[in-house]
Amino acid sequence: MPSTERPKLRARERRAIVQALRAGVVPRAGLHHIQVGRSRELDALMQDIEQVREGGSAVRFVIGEYGSGKTFFLNLIRLVALEKGLVAVQADLTPDKRLQASGGQARALYAELMRNLSTRTKPDGGALPAMVERFIAQADQQARIQRRDTESVICERLADLEELVSGYDFAGVLAAYWRAYQEGDSATQAAVLRWLRAEYPNRTAAKKDLPVSTIIDDENWYDYLKLMGRFAKLAGYEGLVVLVDEAVNLYKLNHKTARSRNYEQILRIVNDSLQGTSEGILFMVGGTPEFLMDPYRGLYSYEALQTRLAENQFAGNGLIDLSGPVIRLQNLAPEDLYVLLANIRRVFVGSSLDAGRVPDEALEAFMRHCAQTIGDAYFRTPRNTVRAFTDLLAILEQNPEASVDQLLGHVRLEREANPDLAPLPEASPSNGSQADEPTSEPDPTPASQMDSDDDLASFSL
Amino acid sequence: MSASSAFELLHRSIQRWIWRSGWTELRDLQERAIPAILAEDRDVVLAAATASGKTEAAFLPVLSLLAERDRGEEVEGFRALYLSPLKALINDQFDRLRLMGEAAGVPVHRWHGDVPQSQKNRARQHPSGVLLITPESLEALLMRDGLQARRLFGEVRFLIVDELHAFIGTERGRQLQSLLHRVDLASRRTRPRIALSATLGDMPLAADFLRPGRTEPAVIIEGQEGQSELRLQVRGYTGSPPKIPTNDTPTDDTPTHDASTLERIATHIFTHLRGQDNLVFANSRNRVEQLADALHERAQRLGVPHEFYPHHGNLSKEIREQAEAQLKSGRPATAVCTSTLELGIDIGSVQSIAQIGPPPAVASLRQRLGRSGRRAGEPAVLRVYIAEPPLSRDARPDEPLRLRLVQTVAMIELLLARWYEPPRPEALHLSTLVQQLLSVITQLGGARADALYDALCRRGPFRSVTPTLFADVLRSLDRREVLQQSPGDGSLLLGPEGERLTSQYSFYAAFSTEEEYRLVCDGKTLGTLPVTHAVAPGMHLVFAGKRWKILDVSPRESRITVAASPAGTAPSFGGDAGHLHAHVAHTMRALYRREDAPRYLDAPARELLAQGRRQFEALKLGRHWAIDAGTQTLVFPWLGTPGLNALALALTDLGLSVETNRIHLSVDAEPAIVRGALTRLAAEPPPSPARLAAVAPPRETAKHHTLLDAPLLHADYASAHLDVPAAWQWLLARGRAS
Repeated sequence: MPSTERPKLRARERRAIVQALRAGVVPRAGLHHIQVGRSRELDALMQDIEQVREGGSAVRFVIGEYGSGKTFFLNLIRLVALEKGLVAVQADLTPDKRLQASGGQARALYAELMRNLSTRTKPDGGALPAMVERFIAQADQQARIQRRDTESVICERLADLEELVSGYDFAGVLAAYWRAYQEGDSATQAAVLRWLRAEYPNRTAAKKDLPVSTIIDDENWYDYLKLMGRFAKLAGYEGLVVLVDEAVNLYKLNHKTARSRNYEQILRIVNDSLQGTSEGILFMVGGTPEFLMDPYRGLYSYEALQTRLAENQFAGNGLIDLSGPVIRLQNLAPEDLYVLLANIRRVFVGSSLDAGRVPDEALEAFMRHCAQTIGDAYFRTPRNTVRAFTDLLAILEQNPEASVDQLLGHVRLEREANPDLAPLPEASPSNGSQADEPTSEPDPTPASQMDSDDDLASFSL
Repeated sequence: MSASSAFELLHRSIQRWIWRSGWTELRDLQERAIPAILAEDRDVVLAAATASGKTEAAFLPVLSLLAERDRGEEVEGFRALYLSPLKALINDQFDRLRLMGEAAGVPVHRWHGDVPQSQKNRARQHPSGVLLITPESLEALLMRDGLQARRLFGEVRFLIVDELHAFIGTERGRQLQSLLHRVDLASRRTRPRIALSATLGDMPLAADFLRPGRTEPAVIIEGQEGQSELRLQVRGYTGSPPKIPTNDTPTDDTPTHDASTLERIATHIFTHLRGQDNLVFANSRNRVEQLADALHERAQRLGVPHEFYPHHGNLSKEIREQAEAQLKSGRPATAVCTSTLELGIDIGSVQSIAQIGPPPAVASLRQRLGRSGRRAGEPAVLRVYIAEPPLSRDARPDEPLRLRLVQTVAMIELLLARWYEPPRPEALHLSTLVQQLLSVITQLGGARADALYDALCRRGPFRSVTPTLFADVLRSLDRREVLQQSPGDGSLLLGPEGERLTSQYSFYAAFSTEEEYRLVCDGKTLGTLPVTHAVAPGMHLVFAGKRWKILDVSPRESRITVAASPAGTAPSFGGDAGHLHAHVAHTMRALYRREDAPRYLDAPARELLAQGRRQFEALKLGRHWAIDAGTQTLVFPWLGTPGLNALALALTDLGLSVETNRIHLSVDAEPAIVRGALTRLAAEPPPSPARLAAVAPPRETAKHHTLLDAPLLHADYASAHLDVPAAWQWLLARGRAS
């Protein structure tokens, strides 16, 4: 068991952790309080971050099974990067947010990344305006010290960007921001931010608001991401970390051409990183093993990537090589989950929950109960288990008379289901509107049918 | 208008539209439909003849509600979905509804293969109001814009199906049921469904088809007025003796249509149908070709414009489209087509329908008839041409029964009684299940097996599919690389073959043109014929006036290898029997016992009916079921095709050589042996339908059957084409009687 020497937990962090865990999402702060293991992987990423701070670049594919804690790990890196003075952008890939597309899905990904832009002082996203302001403020300060015109300082600083693809337009838009800032023209300032977030759907709309004839779109978004990397440095940050999660959604794309084009984009990113063309960027992609290795749908179906990403043939079976771009996260073992639950308990204990009410035996009993209810799935999908445990602790906390034993029977773990195919609340037509309907549970299924359907729940070809 | 209470319920803008249109009153059907639809808590089935104001009965209240609640608030998404089997019908309805929609401030969009992409894009970008669409286009929309499904359909309040009767019991009907359910799932609500239908004898059955697993009864409203006039004639022909086919010219299956009979029929069609729009249905492709040739030749001879175009599945797309374009052009044109093109040919309305040979089913006859007499004040016109061979001394005893004519009369009688073939509840429709599986997976970018089963089978339209069968279907698709499974979350995704299939334009249609089998003897093709009954090696079939023993059946290549059978005599007709429901068989037997002749028979047809009745009497078929025909025994169980198939397969399984005819079997054995075999069968418990189906090679009759393993094909065939209980019921009753 790891030592209990942990940094002190702040009340704000505690609240954030509890809320996030109960909602089934990864907390954005205070992660180190519950983190379990993964110290060597963390070290490798710390080195990457240092490299980026020195103007280098890196790309990492974080590969692990469902529930192995990829998202948790990516968030941990994000928080570390923010602490180290980097800017972070993050987004999940979805069928309509992709790395390459022609119907606006790549622009949508870029927009999502920019909306989630975060810094150390604004770790929850929405930090793009602050970043631009900081760039302006620093230029202004420099201008005053050097007794120069601020605009000329801005232009000088941005000149660096203009040598990059699309750099001219990027610089032009920022210059427009400065002029608007001076004139108190908040509409144009908002338009610039909107433009930087790739929220203009077409050129015509952008032209109306800004002195620019291009927009950030499916074609050029990656050039702008690289520009953002440079810009982060110009604005006084240490670099940019780009986190793209749920890459399994690329593997799931329906058509081979769509997948190949996305993988082609990944190849560009890998090449740029290995050749050092993208300065000051750490690129991280989170995905499942099939996303990486499936010979028909995965990254390995794209030959150029397979050669670049092939893992050290000696790695595996407990031996790891963290020098390649692929980082394998081992599944959480039941013991790891135990530590995780203990860590969550510690988040609660010390405020209003008495440690004696949740002894170690209670943790074991909880895990046994989960194993009995849904089998091994409980530790393969820690999200639901953690959520149920957090709920349990919350009840204990607020009801001094309640006990773990008494509550255990009520713990319900739900399998994750596709909401699009879930049964409808009523079998007959109704004129009630969607919002008015009571959210009723689906009909209980007769036991006899349950048996046969369970075969399909665990169906494998 | 003041007396109308329903009128008062409508939105002001709709009332104004009614005034402006100069209506003096609402029709009875509309009076009753308006409050039922406005209640918005029940499914409503509107049954009436064409041109009876059905469309308005549905859309006055629907548009009224949409006008009311949409005032002021901008809701994104279609509010009502109208599904129609025909593009032409959508175009007609679009012209009518657009004006009504304009009055109510409700946009109306149309969406099918011929609508320009720009119009579809507009509807996709700003979904609103009423969407008129075909099932195939809705399938495409869900697959291509699956992620948008909730935005497009989340606010749908009504699902309206036109021509409901055209869908019942078909693969396309099952697709429709699935699509309706999927729209409900996308909107996360169960919305009222409204169906427009021809009047059928059993309306509750149609209501159950509209919503499988119905828990609340639907409101059924039948129109009292406006039954359109039907003009009907059955024409009888007696042809000259059949010819033996020569080896290098493949001939047709039914040589009663020898050159002279066909010429006579062609002459009648040419004289009476020229100068207007018509559809002529024949039961095989050969027949279509021959007839179209004969009509073409007449036009050339007389130097008049060519008006008759062949149209069947084997013709190239260009030729078929040319025929359709001619029919839409406004110039007089007639398509000569096969039964299987009933759905594929998209032609709105014509003046008259001709049917060559007995119709394959009552439902399909209704469907064909429904294409004529659509305009107010115009009658529906149907001519049926039936040819029978001349009587001869050495004919087999079933030939003078005139079964083709009697079947035709029985079907017309049932049509007039508003009867139609009820769908088989146990039918699996596995081909359409495959289509829907792939479509849902494409729509959602992957889905888990249990969720798919729940959505499509347990709570969806494929209720007769068990979890075990469903898993077998998935494994079958996996073996063919149609599906694959994501090892992480277990979701099913398209495999290479699935991606290829779903990217084809033709994937959106659930039905395919039915294959005709090629008959091959000694490596030479004798001809082609549609085969609807069970065929297995060892069985016999009749083709071109001869009996042939089946050596091999190759469904993949649509080929039956045969050898000339020395034994027995053949009836001079065979082949195009169609799929007779047991009720048709019973009606035929009843017809033989009656003495009156329906008025719609011409004199030769009347004589054919009388001949048939005389032979029925002579064979004492009212009491006997077995006829000794020399080396063969004819068995008349008066079962429908599914019961007859079950009996034929059971006897084949016992080693007997069986030939399945229109309404009876012919067994190569003496009556005593046949009797013994039947007694033996009756003594055993009935076999499982799937086991019995496995006596014959698996049939690939539906579109995606090629993707399924043999046991699934047997199960699918058994569920749709075998009636073991009926066969055994007859076996046991026969045993008791003797």
